[in-house]
Order: sequence, then structure tokens, then C-alpha cells
Amino acid sequence: MNELRSIAVLDLYRTRPKNWPVRISVGIMFALMGIAWLAGDFFPADTFTQSRQANVERFLRELLPFPLHNVDFDWAVAARWGWEILDNKGFEALYTTFLISVAAIVLASVMGALLTIPAARNIATDQPFGLNHGSPSVVSRLLWQIMLVVTRGVLILLRAIPEYVWAFLLLALLGPTVWSIVLALALHNAGILGKLSAEVTEDLPAAPLRALHALGASRAHVSVMAVLPVGLPRFLLFFFYRWETCVREATVLGMLGIASLGFWIQEARARNFYDEMIFLVLLGVVLIIVGDVFSSFARRWLRRLS
Amino acid sequence: MRDDGLNIGRRRWILVGLLAAGFASIYALDLQWSQLLPNAGGIHTAGQFFARALSPALSYESAVPLHTPPLLIKALAAAWQTILFAAAALSLALVGGAVLGFFASTALWLPAGAHEPSSGRPLGAALLGVMHALIRLLITLMRSVHELLWAVLFLAAFGLSQMSAVIALALPCAGILAKIFAELVDEAPSEAAYALRAAGASRLQVFCFALIPCAMPDILAYVLYRFECLLRTSAVLGFFGFPTLGFYIAAAFENLHYGELWSYLYTLLILIVIADWWSGLFRRELLR
Repeated sequence: MNELRSIAVLDLYRTRPKNWPVRISVGIMFALMGIAWLAGDFFPADTFTQSRQANVERFLRELLPFPLHNVDFDWAVAARWGWEILDNKGFEALYTTFLISVAAIVLASVMGALLTIPAARNIATDQPFGLNHGSPSVVSRLLWQIMLVVTRGVLILLRAIPEYVWAFLLLALLGPTVWSIVLALALHNAGILGKLSAEVTEDLPAAPLRALHALGASRAHVSVMAVLPVGLPRFLLFFFYRWETCVREATVLGMLGIASLGFWIQEARARNFYDEMIFLVLLGVVLIIVGDVFSSFARRWLRRLS
Repeated sequence: MRDDGLNIGRRRWILVGLLAAGFASIYALDLQWSQLLPNAGGIHTAGQFFARALSPALSYESAVPLHTPPLLIKALAAAWQTILFAAAALSLALVGGAVLGFFASTALWLPAGAHEPSSGRPLGAALLGVMHALIRLLITLMRSVHELLWAVLFLAAFGLSQMSAVIALALPCAGILAKIFAELVDEAPSEAAYALRAAGASRLQVFCFALIPCAMPDILAYVLYRFECLLRTSAVLGFFGFPTLGFYIAAAFENLHYGELWSYLYTLLILIVIADWWSGLFRRELLR
């Protein structure tokens, strides 16, 4: 009996579904992780030296708010210290970070929306929504094809370059204005939003779009009057998902020199004010958690709509 | 679709409201559209910069010390370092994420089915509940601090050590993985779990042999997506002095070697496009 059962189990095991691309991918992944620890020089000789340990101890000591050094802990003093930072720069930095994220995500969605139409395979073709326009012409097919490939290429380029690299390049080109960060976030997210909404557009029910087009509505008409309203809940879902990321990145991009939260964090670090630095980092955590909560509420609400 | 799903009027107001919010933010940030045009120096830089886009450098643009490897080899080596940082961070994050995710999921302490009586030990259940809440809090804290901020913290504490970069990459990733692991395990189809539980398997056995295998495809797909994200961040960490692609991008920019800059940018681009393609292929294969 026992033997029979184990044979049945073995048979099941032998005939389980196997997927070679997946197995090879997992194999490569594990190999990479192994090689990383063998080949990467992650433990330099001076990891555990005295000076490093002293540095860590000093760092930990200085995380305590400055007025509390060498005195008994007092909540009132700590609160006054925290309020002073908030009043001096905290609130303004939070406000700026928030504004940057909103401006960036709205610009990104405008750009993304414009790029969506020439990137959607059911619109950017000589047979939109599966309808023929008179006799098929090789030239028009080729032109549409080129436009599709170029738009998709632009989208890939936009999203493949990380926000931080965009911001770094734009700061050098535009000079130190907030535009550099707003545009960096907007460009990267336009690439992502454009790709996602092009996919949504391609997956929309085809019949209503085809009907409108057959009645004489142009591609632009169909996009504005059918694709946008029907796809909107899904587009907004992506909008809030990316906005959440924008809040995160807007915090950090300040490190390049624009007065968002990251700027003050970097500045506190440069002055070795570690207590202030950790306070500002935690302030950023609060902002991000508030953004997360708001975005997930908005998305839950939208999911009921779609 | 429900009735309120087709309320086009409300949709129009949502669109108008969001656009207004965007322009209000631009106004409040005191941004002028004219600032978008770079100044004379900026135009000059921009011209030089974009002029090299089609002709990235194939060799160094200035004299280099003897025995420096050729530029392309160096770019590939930087890409390889970027991959190594990401892979090392992923291995740490997998371990951390698995452990934290195990404790953050409810499968271990909530009854497997509605028919199962809760264990008659209220104190133990309360303790588990508190531990669960604490772990969730820890996970939230880990992933709410951006990788680059973790890096700044570790740089301040440990100085420029490669290990701090790996840990800075791994911490938020572990937090995200733990959250996703817990959610996927909790949402895994529960029939197998009920069956095993009814046949007398312990909670741990149910967890290992029913819930994990059911959630595995989604978990794997997500892990590979995280690897793609880690690659991006690992490249950016170079701006803080670690020998990944970002380091060479920043250095080339500061030396005004725009040709070299484009070579490194294209390397980064290719790396990320390959990762993007790979994780997309993997997801399609797994979730088919």
C-alpha cells in the first residue's frame, strides 16, 4: 500500500508541468546571485576596522537630538527641537515635495496621453479598429508602421533612463530650476504611463470603437470620445500608482540641489547633523505613507468604477 | 459595469480637477514656462550634448593612464558591476523578505477555514497578533525609506563601503518582497490548504506544501520584476561613488566628455531594456 502510494506520488511528480524558459530564467537568477557574492568585492579588508567602528558609534550617538546630549531625556526639549526644524524648513520642504510630485504626474499623464494614441496598435495603423480605408496602400501601411515603431521607441527611451539620471542631465541643461526635477519625473513617468495606457487601449472592447469609426468619426474623435471615457478608470488607476512613486522620487531628487526634502537631508548630512538628518528622513516617511494611503484609497474607489 | 461606472459627467470633472491640480502646483512652485528654454550657456551645452547622441565615443576622449582597459570594456565592466550589486542585494532581500513575509502573513495564525475552531489559547493568539502588527510596521518602515536615502544613512554611518550599497538596495526591496509574499500567500487559492488541514496537516505543513506552491508563480514573476527595479537603482547608486554605471555617467558629465557619456548611457539603456524584456517574457510564460 505504502509502496503504491509513493509510486503514484512519484508519477505525479514526474508528470508535473515544466516550463523551460522559466526554469532557465530562475537558474540564471540564482547563478547571478552566487557569482555576485564570489566576484563582487563586497567585503573590503577594512570593513571591521577600529576607525569604522568608532565612526558607527559616533553616528549612533549623534542620532539623539542635539539639545539632549549630556542631559536627561526630556520630551519637551525634543519636541521644541523638532518643531524648530519643521518651522525652519520641514513644512516648506514637504509642501514643495508634494507640489513637485503633483505637477510632475499631471505633466507626465498629458505627455503619456499624447503618446498613447500613436503607440496603440489598434489606432496607429492603416486599418484602424479593424476597418479598411478603401484599397490598402503599401505606402500608408509603411508610414503608420514607422510611426508606431518610433513612438514605441521613444516610450522605451523615456522609461529606460532612471529619473535620477534625467534630473542630473536636465539640471545641467536648464540650470538649477525646479523644472529639472519636475521634467525628469514627468519624462520617466510619461514613458511608463504611455506604455501602460497603450496596452489598455489595445485591450478595450473593439466593437464600439469600430462602430464609431465606421460612422465617420476620425481616429482623434474615437480617441477622445470613446477610448478616453471607457478606459479612464484604468488610466486613473495607473495615474495614482505612478503618483505614489513620484512622491517617493521627488523626495530623493532634492539631493541634486533643489529645495525638496532630499536637499535638506543631503545638507544635514554634509554638516554632520545626523540628528536632523534622521528627523527629516522620518518626515519623508510620513509623507510617503500619507501618499500611499491616499493613493490606495483612490485606487480602491476607482476599481469599483471599472 | 455598474451604473455609476458609466457616469461620464463625473469623469469629466475628475479630468478637469486633476489638470487644475497640476497647473496649480506649477503656479505654486513659481515655475515660469520661459525657464524651460535654457540660457545661452545651457543652449551651448545642450547642443554639444545632443550632437554626440548619434556618435557615442568608442575610445577615451582624453589621455588616460597606461593599461586602462578600452572604453567599451570599461562600460561593460561597469554594467557587470551594476548587475552584481543588484544580484547581491536581491539575494539578501529574498532571505529577508521570505522571513518577514512568513511572519507577516495571516496564514499561520488565522484558522485555515471557517469550519476550523480557533485555538483555545487567547493569550497566545493576542501575542501573535501583536507580533504580526510589529512586523507589518517594520516592513512599512523599510520600504518607505527610499534606497538612496538608505544609502545616505549608511554612507554617514559606515563610510564608502560596498556593503552599505548592497544593504541600502536590499532593505527596501526586502520590505516590498515581504509585503508581496504575505499578500500572495494570503490570497493563494485555499482549496488545497483546506484539504491538507482537514487531512491533519499542521499549520506549518499547510504553509509549506499548499500555500507556497500555489503562490509560487506570482512570487517568482514579482521577484524578477524587483530585480529589474534593483538594476535601475543600482545604476543610480553610482552617483554616490560606487563603481556602477551612474558613477561613470556622472564622471563623464563633469569632465564634459559627452561622447563617453552617451556610451555609458547607451550601455545603461541596453541593460535596462534587456532586463525589461526578460522580466516581461518571464511573467508572460509564468502567468499564462
